[in-house]
Amino acid sequence: MTETLRQSLSALVDQEATEFEARKILDGTKTRGDLKEYWASCQAISSTMRGEEVLGTTLLDRINAELDGVAEAKPIIDAQQEVASHVTFLPSKDPLPNRYAALAGQLAIAASIAFAVVIGVKVVAPVDTRGTVATAEPLEIIKFQMPVQRETVAVEGMTSTSNINERRPVARILTEQDMKQLVSNRLSPYLIRHAENTAIIGGTSVLPLARIMGRDEPIE
Amino acid sequence: MESPVQKVEAENDQLLVDRARLGDRHAFDLLVLKYQSRLLSVVSRLVTNQNDAMDVLQDTFVKAFRSLKTFRGESAYYTWLYRIAVNTAKNYVATRAKEAKDVSFDEDGTSEALALQDIAAPEEEAGAEELQRAILDTIERLPEDLKYALTLRELEGMSYDEIAVMMNCPIGTVRSRIFRARDQVIREISQRFPGTFSL
Repeated sequence: MTETLRQSLSALVDQEATEFEARKILDGTKTRGDLKEYWASCQAISSTMRGEEVLGTTLLDRINAELDGVAEAKPIIDAQQEVASHVTFLPSKDPLPNRYAALAGQLAIAASIAFAVVIGVKVVAPVDTRGTVATAEPLEIIKFQMPVQRETVAVEGMTSTSNINERRPVARILTEQDMKQLVSNRLSPYLIRHAENTAIIGGTSVLPLARIMGRDEPIE
Repeated sequence: MESPVQKVEAENDQLLVDRARLGDRHAFDLLVLKYQSRLLSVVSRLVTNQNDAMDVLQDTFVKAFRSLKTFRGESAYYTWLYRIAVNTAKNYVATRAKEAKDVSFDEDGTSEALALQDIAAPEEEAGAEELQRAILDTIERLPEDLKYALTLRELEGMSYDEIAVMMNCPIGTVRSRIFRARDQVIREISQRFPGTFSL
């Protein structure tokens, strides 16, 4: 045992140890028997100086033996008593309406929480449809600005007699009519799918806000 | 009114009591070692036989441990313990007195129960007395400053603050002197009586 620890223990005997020292010593007694023996020695000196009898650890051993003997047999009884005194069983003949009322109440609480969450999400983070369309449009424009490179059409009768792997499709420039048709073909299914998904999910559709119009149609 | 020393003692005991209440048997052991001799003096005034006094003391501490949850700290722990000890001793004496009426006497007129009393081994008693004399001798031979500090603490019950004022030295010096005094006694006694004291 270190001198520092012994000095702390001596101070604890005199009730002059700091709280940190006291806790350190008390924690130490769980694993170190020498701390308790040093404590007993200090107490023996005190008792001798006061003219009291020195008992050592004889009485302590007897007390611990009795407490251990009781502790071995008693916990089972105590545990049963604890259960009996603390556990409250439901009455076996509890009227059913009360049980259903309790269940209905729980469901009502769960439903109102779910409703509040949905409303909360809509209010806090509403779906910004304009933003979605605005970000989508440039992509589509970029996509269709270069139809020549992207859209190639194979012309019948132009296939060579060489290996099919070496066959190259011949590109042709799309007319304005082809462009309209292409845009219509691509955009319409997308908007329909979007409207369907929105109807299922419950969000706001882009469809009511979108309108397909040709270049020659006047803007209102 | 509670003196400052008693108040500090009560607060310090509270830490041990709190631990013991939570089931820390080691903390309770320290309380037993701290108060056993003091309580024995009390019990011995009510129960003259040494063995009986030890039995009463054992019962006292066992009862105290089992009823620690009822100790609310309104009084000092020792005061609470003292009440348990006195009640246990009184009950013990009453029970023994009732039993004594039923005891049959042998031809010599000596009660069997009485014959079993006072068998405390004389060697043990002599050993305890020798140990106490040795402790006092060792304290007597301590350097003056150590002996003075220890005496003021143990016999006068002064706090370190009060001793520091009395001895005109810092409180840390008081703490160190008292520790060195005890340490020296324990070292010497453990050499003279192996197995009695330990460092």
